[in-house]
Amino acid sequence: MLIDLQPSNRILEEALRERFNGEAEKLQLKVADFDGVKYRLSTPESKTVLNISMAMRCFGELQRYGADAVLRREYGDMLESTPESGFDVTVRVDLQNLPQDKESLVRKLSLLKRNALAAPFEIAFNAQLEGRDSELMTIHYRDEEAYYIKAQHDRVTVIFSTIFKEETDRIFGKVFLQEFVDARRSPATQNAPQVLYSPREPPMELRGVPGVQESDWVGYVTFVLFPRHFTGPAAEGCISRIELFRDYLHYHIKASKAYMHSRMRTRVDSFLKVLNRAKPEQPDSQKEKKTASGKTFKRS
Amino acid sequence: MTNLPAVVIDNGTGYTKMGYAGNNDPQFIIPTTIATRETPSGNLAAKRGIEDLDYYIGDEAILNSKTYGINYPIRHGQVENWDLMEKFHQASIFQYLRCEPEDHYFLLTEPPLNPPENREYTAEIFFESFGAKGIYIAVQAVLALAASWTSGKADQTLTGTVIDSGDGVTHVIPVAEGYVIGSSIKHIPIAGRDITQFVQQLLRERENSIPPEDSLEVAKRIKEMYSYVCPDIVKEFKKYDSEPDKCFKKHEFLHSVTKKPYNVDVGFERFLGPEIFFNPEIASPDFLTPLPEVVDTTIQSCPIDTRRGLYKNIVLSGGSTMFKDFGRRLQRDITRIVDNRLKHYEVLSQANINKDQQIQPKMIDVNVVSHKRQRYAVWFGGSLLADTAEFYSYCHSKAQYDEYGPSIARFNRVFASIM
Repeated sequence: MLIDLQPSNRILEEALRERFNGEAEKLQLKVADFDGVKYRLSTPESKTVLNISMAMRCFGELQRYGADAVLRREYGDMLESTPESGFDVTVRVDLQNLPQDKESLVRKLSLLKRNALAAPFEIAFNAQLEGRDSELMTIHYRDEEAYYIKAQHDRVTVIFSTIFKEETDRIFGKVFLQEFVDARRSPATQNAPQVLYSPREPPMELRGVPGVQESDWVGYVTFVLFPRHFTGPAAEGCISRIELFRDYLHYHIKASKAYMHSRMRTRVDSFLKVLNRAKPEQPDSQKEKKTASGKTFKRS
Repeated sequence: MTNLPAVVIDNGTGYTKMGYAGNNDPQFIIPTTIATRETPSGNLAAKRGIEDLDYYIGDEAILNSKTYGINYPIRHGQVENWDLMEKFHQASIFQYLRCEPEDHYFLLTEPPLNPPENREYTAEIFFESFGAKGIYIAVQAVLALAASWTSGKADQTLTGTVIDSGDGVTHVIPVAEGYVIGSSIKHIPIAGRDITQFVQQLLRERENSIPPEDSLEVAKRIKEMYSYVCPDIVKEFKKYDSEPDKCFKKHEFLHSVTKKPYNVDVGFERFLGPEIFFNPEIASPDFLTPLPEVVDTTIQSCPIDTRRGLYKNIVLSGGSTMFKDFGRRLQRDITRIVDNRLKHYEVLSQANINKDQQIQPKMIDVNVVSHKRQRYAVWFGGSLLADTAEFYSYCHSKAQYDEYGPSIARFNRVFASIM
């Protein structure tokens, strides 16, 4: 099923797996990811030393919220202290010194973007678990869109702003997000975090925050996370999914549009059938006849 | 986010090649297949949940072929089922390439002689469903020409003959100044699949160690690993007889079910496989014209002022042109045909003229270009083009689409004329 988007980057995953299990070769690969993230894989010095660099729009903000520490924890010595020029993070892998478990390293490296974005979430989750309030953390992950995270004594609130470039997208988005509210009524998903959607106006938490827009094209999605959502092993999945929520939303809006298109095409086909039925039938003498070999002719 | 790389997608009949511009190889090469769940009622409107997302594409589609229905949205290079194609694009953009289409430009490919309606449908999908920033639809043959610029041998022209040989069919496409000469395109029903079948047939006659269920796979591997083009079959047969230990190879295969190894001798099929391009009668009686002759007649049917350029730059593209010395043999055979004709003309036209007044015609330069990126030449050409700064000005933008509608896709800005 293609409902979810995976948190790991598939191209990185496949390229690294091939590189780790194959022969050392020169490599130069430029790849993009959601939210304007760019990667570059290169072997600048020797064929056996692979640099994986990532450029990210909001990395400066993430650094303020402890991204360096998270990356250091995940990648240890592989993380370069000075990234390659034009990039924000560089991880260096020595192909001659690979650990036994190559697969988990591949997995870890392909989660580079996810791990960098995870930092503010971890701060908020830890603050909440200790019962502290945190400041309102703002991350401008795209040019005009941002998300805001704040820990309170009993919950963590994550608010997304997202922009719909088209009128139809806005309506689809509204319907789609309304479904979240309805779906929560069914018993299977009672424990899911609460999702609130406010088109146009920012929610109460964001009133007065500088840079928060109010326009017809903006929508705000609020997640209210309680400790049961992010204690222990649940935290990792929770972060991965929330980070990708914006892309998930847009992916599904596009999928709904594709679905509408296929319905429109079937409808057009059925109308065409009706129209073709209405064609007056040719009299027998004018009809094209077929020979056994498939040629057509008219009897004169 | 202005400098995000463009996305290059080349949807072929057999395989889809996709990746980001500026790279040398496509990041994904997946079969153009889509596996969907057959809806029980057959009525789209009966959908209640998320059944429309219950599908797989590419290799995953083939893995799931037991429980899903397999579909091929592209036949003979042209899209047949737009519903499935839209889904295919959706999965390739979001699941495989992982990009937000609103942030990227796209370069797509089309076969020569694609009807403009198909181009409009493509534009509709990309602008309406995905809201792409801009798209450019390029003709595959022209991209293959552009890819040959890397070989260093050819000058950077958009005039040349493209021989595109994939799995199903081989096309010979003349291109003059970037325009495809549509009336002269020729197709040959000999391509990769036929070579595989021929090799399989040869092996079946000789080897008895190959389990029948694996024989197609074995033939394919032998074709890919050992085949080459020889200058002369008779001499090659003699060579194999005189030095058998040098020419015959042994390859160990694993049985696909029992995992037991077995040995296969690889012999004459090494050069006989690709030979069917040059002597098609050895494989089947249905089609008898050799490839060099087809190329020659193709060029001869083109406008006379383009012919020298077309002979000078014969470009190979596609996996079935990868055989060692394929280019060299083709060049030799075409040169032979052209020179013979020229000599014949000379004799005919100058028979009545005195010896000292005769003029020698200028010899025609035949040049077959092969290069390293031949296998995915179309994709690579697209990647080169989409990496240039001018590319963005050639694209049809979302704003234009909103203003004029899908008919903008009929117009190609490189040539600044209505196609």
